[in-house]
Amino acid sequence: KNKSAASKDSSPEGAAKKQEDGAGTPKQQLLDIIGDMKVEVSYRKKLQQLKASENKKQAMNKLEGPDSEGSVPQGITEDTQRGKPLNPELVKAASAVASSLPRNKKKTESELLAQLRRHEETTDKQKKGGIINIRNVISEMTIKRQSPAHRGARMSGRISLQLDEDGQRLRRERSSALSMDSGRSLKVGKRLNIFTKASTEPEQALKTVSSPTIWDLEFAKEVAAVTAQPPRNGFEEMIQWTKEGILWEFPIDNEVGMEDDAEFHEHIFLEKHLKGFPKEGPVRHFMELVICGLSKNPYLSVKQKVEHIEWFQNYFEEKKELLQEI
Amino acid sequence: MAAAALCWALRAARQVLPSPCPRQVRSYYVDWRMLRDVKRRKMAYEHADERLRINAIRKNSILPKELQEVADKEIAALPRDSCPVRIRNRCVLTSRSRGVKRRWRLSRIVFRHFADHAQMSGVQRAMW
Repeated sequence: KNKSAASKDSSPEGAAKKQEDGAGTPKQQLLDIIGDMKVEVSYRKKLQQLKASENKKQAMNKLEGPDSEGSVPQGITEDTQRGKPLNPELVKAASAVASSLPRNKKKTESELLAQLRRHEETTDKQKKGGIINIRNVISEMTIKRQSPAHRGARMSGRISLQLDEDGQRLRRERSSALSMDSGRSLKVGKRLNIFTKASTEPEQALKTVSSPTIWDLEFAKEVAAVTAQPPRNGFEEMIQWTKEGILWEFPIDNEVGMEDDAEFHEHIFLEKHLKGFPKEGPVRHFMELVICGLSKNPYLSVKQKVEHIEWFQNYFEEKKELLQEI
Repeated sequence: MAAAALCWALRAARQVLPSPCPRQVRSYYVDWRMLRDVKRRKMAYEHADERLRINAIRKNSILPKELQEVADKEIAALPRDSCPVRIRNRCVLTSRSRGVKRRWRLSRIVFRHFADHAQMSGVQRAMW
């Protein structure tokens, strides 16, 4: 941890540390550690952090600087003010490091503590997000090689106005460049787990209001009345009329309101509805004529035709006695 | 069915009222004769199917005559206002029963008034 904290410091501080000769054995140990440190790449720092945390614990146990006690309460108050509580051992170590440095001790201590906090945050994020293996990320990437032609095209695109022909040409080039860069398809390769999937929140249950209350309706009407501005021109007037139903929708659809989903055979072959009638006699003759007429009628829906036939059926059943007399 | 259409338009207009755009809404028919005509149209619409079917039985050469006589009596028993013959195409604005042009549903006087003020689309004074 000490190494990581120090690595984030600016280089002049690092140089200063190397020069320092601290008093006391624990401080000397610290300084030795710091002195051995080099400025490292930030990604490797995390691996070192894990290793350093073990070393740190050993170092902390030996550290009992009198200075640290004095500065600890201040450090702790600072931490608690920031919200996230840092490890008190880390705090002690930071104060010890700060005291060993020649410059403004409190300032350096506060800087170190701030950096510690940042560390904590990043480590927490990392823990939540999972470990990103850099190698996986880099393996999928290819080096972009801009041909001078492309470069020239892009520069010209930025500077000059573009006519249609030029625009089309440039667009094609750009698209070809993109396609060349992403030569691999988007869905090939291992999952990198860099982005967390947006959690699809369970759709909140609909309001458990069985029916909107009268007050809700009135409120809605009021809102509609207030927001509905009178039409500013003829077009808006026509729009309003269309919504109300006064004006038809253009282009005129002849089949508005007609929702006949029945096939043609249901319109034409109506003999199956004649099952309730006697098979011979004038009634049957009459009904067959009726069916013939209905099959040629394009204006009625199947339902209406069936109702027609059923009405006749009822009528003739009522008149059965009369028919039998004849 | 001009008056029926007018009635429907009136109902629609009443529903529109809450909007702040005030349009003149006619809430009364021009006179009682127009009202009676409106009632006749409604009844005719309701009984149209029945009338059609009973007439189909009546105007028939296949079914026995006794049946047809029974049908005659039935159709006579229907309310008088249900027959479409009693509907009169009145002027929509003045309720004038004579001199009404079917295409515009207006009496000749109202038609002339609007046409002279250029409020009839596509209508022009004839000159040849």
